[in-house]
Amino acid sequence: MKTLKILTVVCVIALATAIVYGVLENPSDSKTYALNPQLDSSSPLEPNFQDTEKLEIEGMEEDTKLGYQIGDIATDFKLKNIDGTMVSLADYPNAKGFMVIFTCNHCPYSKAYEDRIIALDKQFKKKGFPVIAINPNNPEIYPEDSFEMMKERAKSKGFTFPYLFDANQDIFPQYGATKTPHVFLLEKQPKGNIVRYIGAIDDNYQDVAAVKTHFLKDAVNALLSGKEVDPKTTAAIGCSIKK
Amino acid sequence: MRLFYSALFVIFLASCSNQSISKTEIVQRDYLVQLLETPSTENVQVINFWATWCAPCVEELPAFVEADQEDNIEVILISLDEAKNVDAMVNPFLKENNITATVKLLDDPYAAEWIPMVDPHWDGAIPATLIQKGSKRMFYNTSLTAQELKDEIAKFL
Repeated sequence: MKTLKILTVVCVIALATAIVYGVLENPSDSKTYALNPQLDSSSPLEPNFQDTEKLEIEGMEEDTKLGYQIGDIATDFKLKNIDGTMVSLADYPNAKGFMVIFTCNHCPYSKAYEDRIIALDKQFKKKGFPVIAINPNNPEIYPEDSFEMMKERAKSKGFTFPYLFDANQDIFPQYGATKTPHVFLLEKQPKGNIVRYIGAIDDNYQDVAAVKTHFLKDAVNALLSGKEVDPKTTAAIGCSIKK
Repeated sequence: MRLFYSALFVIFLASCSNQSISKTEIVQRDYLVQLLETPSTENVQVINFWATWCAPCVEELPAFVEADQEDNIEVILISLDEAKNVDAMVNPFLKENNITATVKLLDDPYAAEWIPMVDPHWDGAIPATLIQKGSKRMFYNTSLTAQELKDEIAKFL
């Protein structure tokens, strides 16, 4: 009987606690929903960001995509390299094309591909297809992607290619890069640099030895031997580029 | 004394509400295929692709955990972290951030093969979210604010 009494008391206490917590939880619920949009709009970075997001959502529904499609002419640029010089595609009169790779310091996928990007540059630079790496991120959001950190990373990894900083963040949207790493393979033609391949470097970021298809390498080899690139686009997980 | 302990236990259970911190289950591609091919007809399924190292993903997670509290909404957080990091990074992250929604880690590096199965528009940037119920499906290749997520889910209710 005594046991039953104690149990009852315990149950009452437990119920009371649950109610108190329940009551306490509700205001925080409404906070999450109601206050965030206001907080967002009061932050200097957010309004812009929200606008682009909405655009993207609408774009998705309407089945349209921003940026280059296969066959488009890619814009040239003049961006600051880690050695302080300004680099343009026009600086390479002897190139047959370019492996333009949007990449950065902070992203684990980018890090996983650094050695492979160096190898690709070494293999294809002498055949006329150098790597041009561009960091598109805003270092205010990702401090690891600052110009100073880019210099350090390039030095410690021994980059053999220019590593450019899209300081105004106006080149990556023109290309339609959405993530890092994101590859745009260009072929130089009399009328401009034509986009021939968009996507991933290969199909396994975790393990080089387990790669089944070397998308980028195959695409460059196809161009070098005058064949059609296949596949022309691929998807891969990457870190979203942040404005 | 035993009674005292069991009483303490009951109080503990009641006070920390009925939600417990999730533990990551490592899954293969067949799980994803099954999830996409047989959507629930009763619940709105909110499938979010994320990773612990992805800052914008981590930023939007609380809204997803919140949405999961509703009875007819099932949130499935698909982590794209490496499987070898599940105990060192993913599970500690769930604990630290009070993640109570279902978490699966997709252990399949051949993303170029499974990304198009999720949605042909998706180029692989994360975060990305898929909402489905029965034959209705919407894909969002972008971050979602708490309000946006709420509004999009409302279209399925």
